[in-house]
Amino acid sequence: MEEKRYKSVPVKPEEITPKEIYLSRRRFLRQMGITGMGALLAACAPQALPDTPAPQGAPANGRTDELGNPLTDYEAVTGYCNFYEFTTNKERVDELAQDFVTEPWSVQVEGLVENPLTYSLEEILARFDQEERIYRMRCVEGWSMVIPWTGFPLKQLLDEVQPTAEAQYVAFESALVPEQMDSAASGRFPFPYLEGLRLDEALHDLTLLATGLYGEPLPPQNGAPIRLVVPWKYGFKSIKSIVRIALVAEQPPTLWNTIAPQEYGFYANVNPAVDHPRWSQATERRIGGSARLDTLLMNGYAEEVMPLYEGMDLTLNF
Amino acid sequence: METAKRNPGAQNRRAGPGWLVHLAGWLPLAVLVGLILTGNLGFNPVESALRWSGRAAVAFLLLSLTCTPAHRIFHLPGFYRLRKPLGLYAALYAGLHFAAFAIWDYRLDLGLIWAEILNKPFIVLGLIALVILLLLAATSSRRARRILRQAWTWLHRLVYAAGILAVLHYLLAIKGDLFSLQGAYAPPLMASGVLILLLVLRIPQIQQSLRRLLTRA
Repeated sequence: MEEKRYKSVPVKPEEITPKEIYLSRRRFLRQMGITGMGALLAACAPQALPDTPAPQGAPANGRTDELGNPLTDYEAVTGYCNFYEFTTNKERVDELAQDFVTEPWSVQVEGLVENPLTYSLEEILARFDQEERIYRMRCVEGWSMVIPWTGFPLKQLLDEVQPTAEAQYVAFESALVPEQMDSAASGRFPFPYLEGLRLDEALHDLTLLATGLYGEPLPPQNGAPIRLVVPWKYGFKSIKSIVRIALVAEQPPTLWNTIAPQEYGFYANVNPAVDHPRWSQATERRIGGSARLDTLLMNGYAEEVMPLYEGMDLTLNF
Repeated sequence: METAKRNPGAQNRRAGPGWLVHLAGWLPLAVLVGLILTGNLGFNPVESALRWSGRAAVAFLLLSLTCTPAHRIFHLPGFYRLRKPLGLYAALYAGLHFAAFAIWDYRLDLGLIWAEILNKPFIVLGLIALVILLLLAATSSRRARRILRQAWTWLHRLVYAAGILAVLHYLLAIKGDLFSLQGAYAPPLMASGVLILLLVLRIPQIQQSLRRLLTRA
C-alpha cells in the first residue's frame, strides 16, 4: 500500500484494538507510574514532519497521529461532545444521549443520483470495509482532540449511488427525535441539523463516514450510529447521526451558516489566518494537553486538500 | 465590617448580611480551587474556570448594583452598605477571569493576548469593565473618598458603565446569533434583564412613585 501522510491503513474489524484493552493497558501503565515511557518511545519514532514538534506527554498507549500528537483519552472523546439536540453543555451530552435509540437505523441516499438507495446500518457495515483512521478534530470553539475513528471513505458510498452530472453538492441531515433529545424542541436552534460539502470535498479520500471510535461502535453522544468526519474542517461540519444524504445542484443550507453566516462559513476550513469574533483560530487548546498549540492550516491536512481550493480566496470563502 | 464598628447602633441590622456576603464572596473561589485541586473541573478546565469566574463577577456586580435602589425604595440601610463588599467581590472575580485568560490559557504570551484583544470586540468590552472595576476597588477606601471628594462620586458612577459592558461581554461570548437569539442565551439574557430593571429603578420619578405606592399599601 502506498504510504500516505495521514494514517489510512485498512484493518479488519478483528485487528482493531478493543476498547477494554486500550483502557486496561492505560490503567496498567498508569499504575506502574511509567506513563513517561510513551513520550520516550514516541521520541524515537520517525517523524513524518520533522519541523513540527511533537506535543509533550504522549499517553501510555503510545499511539499518535502522523504528526506525533498522542490520542486524546477515550473518556474525553466520549465525555466532551457538542451535540446541541441533547444539550449545549458538552459534559452532559454523554449522560443525556444514553437513551437515544439507534437500532434500527437507516440512511436514505437520494437526490441527483442514478441509483437512490436506503441503507440499513447493517448493510453499510457489511458492504463497506471499515478501516481505522487517526484524525485531528479541531472545534471552532478553539479546542481540539486526536481521535481514532473507524469508518470508510464517503466516496465508496457515493460511487454506489452514482451522482448525476448535475450534482454539485452533498447535503446531510441528522436525526431529529425530540422525544429522545432534550433540547431538540426548545426552539433555540432550527433543527434538524443540516450540513453540506461540495461534491469534490465529499469525494476526497480523507472524508470519512465513521461508524466507530477506539475500536467500538460510536457511542450515542459521538453521533451513533453513523456520522461524517471531515478532518480539515471545523468540527461542526462533521454532522452526527446521519439519516439522509442528498446529492444536490446548489449549495445546501447548513445549520450554523444559517444562524450566523458572518461567523460560520459554508466551507469552515480550519484556517489560522481567518479569525472568529469569539475564539482564537490561530491557536487551540488540545483536550488533555497543557499549553496552547498553533492551529495548522487545514488542520494539518493542507497538502492533501489545498488542491480542492485552487484559485479560491479562502478569506472570503471561509 | 468596618462600618458596623463605627456605627454600633446599626450593628444588629448589619451583622447578618455582612457575614453572609463574605461567605458568599469566597465560596465560588473555594469551590473553584477545590475542583482544580481534585481535577474535577472537566475536560476543558480553562474554559470551565473562565465561565465560573465570569459568571461570579457578573452576579456580584448585579448584586452590588441592587443595593442602592433597594435602599432608596424599601429603606434598607444595612443592605445599602453591602454595595462595597459586593463590588469588591465583583472586581475580584473579574480579575480572576482575566487571569484565567491571560495566565492560565495564554501563558502570558503578550503577542497572542494582544492579537486576541485587537480582533475580538467582546474582549475589549470585558477589559474596559475590568479596568473600571479595578479602579473602583482601588478607590473604595474612606481615605480615597475623602481625597477625591466630588470626583469620587463621578468616578464611582462608572459602575453603571461596567455593568452594561460586562453584560454585553457576556452576551457576545455566547455561541449563536445574538440578533435572532439562537443559542444558549438564557443566562446572559437574565443578567441583561436584571441590569435593565436595576437601571430603570434608578430613575428618580420611578423611585418616587414606587415609594408612594408602598406607603399607600
